[in-house]
Amino acid sequence: MSHQSYLFSPVTRLSGLMSVEVLVEERRIVEANASSTMFRGFEWIMGDRQAADAVYMTQRVCGICSLAHGATASYLLDELYDNELTENAQILRNIMYAADFLQNHIRHFYLFSLPDFVVMPDRPPFHGQNLMDARLNPEDNRRLAGNYFEAVKFAQRSHEILALFGGKAPHQHSFVHGGVSVAPTADKINRAQALIHDIGEFVKGTLIPDTELISRVYGDYYRIGIAPARYLSFGLFKFGSKNERILWRNGVLADGRLTLPQTERIHEDISHAWFETAGSQEPQQKELKPNPSKPGAYTWIKSVRYAGLPFQVGPLARMIINGRYSGGSSTMDRICARSLETLLLTELVQEWLKKLTPGPPPIRQKNRAIKTEVTATTDAMRGALLHSARIVDDKVVWYNIITPTVWNFSPKDAHGQRGPAENALVGTEIPTSDLLFTILGRIIRSFDPCMPCAAHVLDCRGNVEAKMVL
Amino acid sequence: MEKVQFTDLCRKLSTRGGHALSKAILPVVEGHLAQNRKYKLPVIWIETSDSGDNNIAFMNTTYPYLGRVFTEMIDLLYSNTFMAAQGQDALIILEQAAALYRGMFTLVVEGAVPTRDGGLYTVIARTATRAITALEAVTWLGSLAKHIVAVGTCASFGGPSAARPNLTGSVGVRDVLNREIINVSGCPVNPDWFVGTLAHLLMYGRPELDDLGRPTLFYGFTVHRHCQRRSYFDREDFAEKLGDIECMFSLGCMGPRTGADCPYRQWINYVNWPVRANTPCIGCTNEDFPDGSTPFFKPMPEKNRPAGSQPAMPGPKGDAQ
Repeated sequence: MSHQSYLFSPVTRLSGLMSVEVLVEERRIVEANASSTMFRGFEWIMGDRQAADAVYMTQRVCGICSLAHGATASYLLDELYDNELTENAQILRNIMYAADFLQNHIRHFYLFSLPDFVVMPDRPPFHGQNLMDARLNPEDNRRLAGNYFEAVKFAQRSHEILALFGGKAPHQHSFVHGGVSVAPTADKINRAQALIHDIGEFVKGTLIPDTELISRVYGDYYRIGIAPARYLSFGLFKFGSKNERILWRNGVLADGRLTLPQTERIHEDISHAWFETAGSQEPQQKELKPNPSKPGAYTWIKSVRYAGLPFQVGPLARMIINGRYSGGSSTMDRICARSLETLLLTELVQEWLKKLTPGPPPIRQKNRAIKTEVTATTDAMRGALLHSARIVDDKVVWYNIITPTVWNFSPKDAHGQRGPAENALVGTEIPTSDLLFTILGRIIRSFDPCMPCAAHVLDCRGNVEAKMVL
Repeated sequence: MEKVQFTDLCRKLSTRGGHALSKAILPVVEGHLAQNRKYKLPVIWIETSDSGDNNIAFMNTTYPYLGRVFTEMIDLLYSNTFMAAQGQDALIILEQAAALYRGMFTLVVEGAVPTRDGGLYTVIARTATRAITALEAVTWLGSLAKHIVAVGTCASFGGPSAARPNLTGSVGVRDVLNREIINVSGCPVNPDWFVGTLAHLLMYGRPELDDLGRPTLFYGFTVHRHCQRRSYFDREDFAEKLGDIECMFSLGCMGPRTGADCPYRQWINYVNWPVRANTPCIGCTNEDFPDGSTPFFKPMPEKNRPAGSQPAMPGPKGDAQ
């Protein structure tokens, strides 16, 4: 009766472009459509290119998590060429990978999420903030707003560690298949240690207390934005000469049961995405084609499902699967798990820098492919990331990517099942309409959405083939 | 005027009639304001089809750090990435800023502009009745801006967003607007190139531009000319594999035909750059990046090039034509 539809567009303070439409009835959200409004078609772009180009090309999918794509493409090529990684290469790769996580998590908390809870100074780019429900006392508020600009420096220093070894950031150069092309020398190790020490102090002394304060003052958000407690992670930080060992375990957690992910159980659905199938003669990628005018569709993100069900991915999923977090699946749980993970990462980088042995560049690239179809999985900052490709004579025949944002921001599938973020929105109480944007913004940003990543995904076969096993 | 003089003046004139006090102090106050009021560059930043790497690169600026850029250099009136406002509130701010600062603001475009299917492949925001495409926003704001800065290679020339087969018909801003665009290319942009361009606009106006509309200050010389490994090239001492210390030309380095000051300036607080990391420069500031740079690890003569054109080779000065 009192149905009212609201459009939340643009959803600012995230990577990329997004709109959300909600239906409110009796002051409660009864339906939500999350819409990614950009498409680039990277999998098509990857077609017919040299396999080795995948590391640098796929980094261009996403600016905030670029190393995750470069790393996954490197793992894929390691398997294709049967590379043998040295321990030093793995340690150095993981230091670089964790450094990119740190810049992402610090930036997300302070630059994207903080203005949802803290009144920012009334000048650009914070003018017209219109934060309803601001609860911090003036002194705490002033301190946290100031920490926004401090955080910028520590995110930059995280990227400095990455660039020190990787040449530049985003889109580093040295983490490629076969290892890392830069020599870990005493001066670099020493500089990285100084940087991570400062970052660690900031995380311990500022980010963690700030997270605790916000979680205390906005404690009701432990009951708001709850997504179904189904979690998936491909694991994080590979070791071993064949990338066979993972430091943070992979897993699929549903109904209290933890199992190993099997990629053949992943499938994608285009019911509500702006794609259509064009002809059926080609079994591969070219089958799908974008159609921004498709009736009933509302996003460039496809629905990805594991064993037919939507799964939440990201820091919360990783922390829960690894037994490091025992909370629920709310807005505040997602924020807290990310901050907790940030702290753990600063400790890991310090530990790894001690283990790194000074010496020549730890890289040995082989160049004869031992197979034609390969899949690589790992977690990126926002959760599970999968690259898979068919490569013949060093040329890419097709290349598929399933990014974390596709899991979290899946639209409804053919059975009407919502994705985790849409599910988290539905059921939320909107006490007064002036609170709508504030509440929506808090819930949505807790997933750390990244639209450039989501924008490229195009598996096109409707089904990831059964051959892809971990 | 010193504080003592000012209070003296006020005391002396306070009892006089005929607005004597106002007449005396108003020019003083105006002069003070004119001298001390900070002029900041009003900026409207539109993110279009890109990976978001250029706003991350921008946040990596050091001296000035981001905080100082916001307080001393620019008034970032609209930015999907940074603004605190959200939803329709943000869109209202965009409309107001464009009207209020018409003819005065600098438009920053981050990303390529899809043109196929009415530009529907990138929608910057939706209203109750329609979608505002990147194409529409760039066309609209481009007609009102004082300067237009394309940040990154996608915005400048199309870049990775327009890489073959370019399903979305993406192009650089220069192909959408018929006016001067300052192209600050790079994938991503080096924060110094971008913040330096903004600084130039703020302090000295329009910078000198090269044939591709890029500030010569940053893009005037090739990577090859300033490369630390130039002596290896001149001796034809080439790297055999990634990780080697010799010239990377043999492994696909695009330095000879890439305008950028990476060897001098370096990246992220000036700690490193790709060749120093024992890998080739991939020519990310170029008009034909990435297609003209691929395969990334094949030497320049073996790279993809338009049918019929000659392979690019370093000339007498080492720079390729």
